Amino acid sequence: MRLLTIGGVISYRALFNWATPAMFIGTLLVGPVFQLLFFAYLGRQLGVADDGFYIVGNAVLAASALCLFGGSMAVLNERRFGTLGHVLLSPRSRTLTWIGRALPYAGNGLLVAAFTLVMGKLLLGLPIPAGAWPGLAATLASAALACAAFGLVLGAFALRFRDAWLINNTTVTLMVLFSGTNVPRESLPGWMQAAGNFIPVTHAASAARSLVHGASFGSVAPRIGQELLIGAAYAVLAGVLLKVFEAESRRRASLDTL
Amino acid sequence: MSDYAIEADGLRRSYRSRTGWLRPQTTVVDAVRGVTFAVGRGELFGLLGPNGAGKTTTIKMLNTLLIPTAGTARVLGHDVVRETREVRKRIGYVFGGDRGLYERLSALDNLRYFAELYGVPAREQKARIGELLELVGLTGREGERVEGYSRGMRQRLHIARGLLHRPEVLFLDEPSIGVDPVAARDLRKTVADLAAGGTTVLLTTHYMAEADELCDRIAVIAGGELRALGTPTELKRHADGRRVVEVEAYGVAPGTVELLQALPGVRGVQIEESGAAQLLTVQSESDVDVQSDVLAALNGVRLGRVSARQPTLEDAYVAIVSGDGGPARESLVAA
Repeated sequence: MRLLTIGGVISYRALFNWATPAMFIGTLLVGPVFQLLFFAYLGRQLGVADDGFYIVGNAVLAASALCLFGGSMAVLNERRFGTLGHVLLSPRSRTLTWIGRALPYAGNGLLVAAFTLVMGKLLLGLPIPAGAWPGLAATLASAALACAAFGLVLGAFALRFRDAWLINNTTVTLMVLFSGTNVPRESLPGWMQAAGNFIPVTHAASAARSLVHGASFGSVAPRIGQELLIGAAYAVLAGVLLKVFEAESRRRASLDTL
Repeated sequence: MSDYAIEADGLRRSYRSRTGWLRPQTTVVDAVRGVTFAVGRGELFGLLGPNGAGKTTTIKMLNTLLIPTAGTARVLGHDVVRETREVRKRIGYVFGGDRGLYERLSALDNLRYFAELYGVPAREQKARIGELLELVGLTGREGERVEGYSRGMRQRLHIARGLLHRPEVLFLDEPSIGVDPVAARDLRKTVADLAAGGTTVLLTTHYMAEADELCDRIAVIAGGELRALGTPTELKRHADGRRVVEVEAYGVAPGTVELLQALPGVRGVQIEESGAAQLLTVQSESDVDVQSDVLAALNGVRLGRVSARQPTLEDAYVAIVSGDGGPARESLVAA
């Protein structure tokens, strides 16, 4: 348990590039708010959707970018610091080690998403029913967890490929498109809508929007469940990939820097 | 229980690399070619060899980070391919250089994290970390971020990390590289104390004096093959029947080494840059005095100190890796 909790927090401080106050505030708090404002004003101009659509969508999206890049940093930066070999020499459970790495990013993602949502509400005057907040917290938490698991999948590729950032950059852009956070999903081609069903954020964003519009928690619970299920599937995939790539690194010497 | 801490039997490792997209070409490099040796429990064993000889690859196979292409290896009786967890519980790994630590964390947090990873029980961690900080002389500096550490301090932290879980076998891969003389002396003392305390140590180094001082036995590896194995005294016999002339020179012209190499009786020539000077080490057969010929060949070059001396372990090492002279390889490998 200590490896999961204490180990997770120490590794977060060691490996997360944006953990310094300036980077945290600039990249994780200020940046997403400006992105939210950009899309909200663009939406007003084009008349595509109301402010609520963009405020909620971008709040959920704020968690995704952090979790995706965080998951990759949790492995890629081990290569950068030359510590990966020492981590792989650990006799402890890999599952605990890697899940411990993902959890702080989920917590951080929840914090950033909540901040972005509150700022969006304050700056653009979005009315949110008081009773919706607990449900929104659960929804954002499910999105953050699913994104952290997805981030770990991307991180696993860092065990195999040196230039794993390429995968991250592409994935984040695709998520913006497929998840329907800034483009209504109904206007997307069918295959994009279908792809969106299998990535994190999509179901959470939809559930959060319904809550903001007054829906009950019970009515959105299935969508939160779907989001968590997707997160669990990615967590399992991450575990398998990490195991496979670690075994392959011993066979193919792909961790040539130690 | 095995009598040996480390057993390597016919270890081989090839690296396959692919270049090019349109016409991909695969290159196979045999880094280690059938290395066999055994290290006794509590022994301090040296692995010497030039860059690219296969030392680090051998260590990575023994510490489970690489799977051998062929051959087998056991650490404390556990197979390094099939029983990785058992091996990892019992070994520590330290390598030289600036990397391998979390720069943004303090030394204390680095050790706390690896204490978790290496399974040090929670109730023992604080005392163990304090003990190791004391051992490596970092007490009082443990709260500082590693990014501000000197190379010597990093190296000491590497050692503390490698010892966290009280490993029975410690792999030290060039631990003194780039470390100042005082820090290197402290490090040698630490290594000697560990071995005296019963820890089996496998040490790779480029510093012959370090190997001579510390190691019970030394294996010399070059081109992925074991060239010699024995005690330092036994290895020095590779340079028996030789004499050594050292010449300090300034501005040795290209081609001079080849010229000296061609002199009658000369067995080997080394040149080493030392500030503005170059140190020429000429090994010759003991019954041939090559000093006057060497000085004649250096006519026109400004010379400093010229001296003759008895061969050292370093001379023996040069003789072994260059593959000329000394006792038969097989006889010493079997020693």
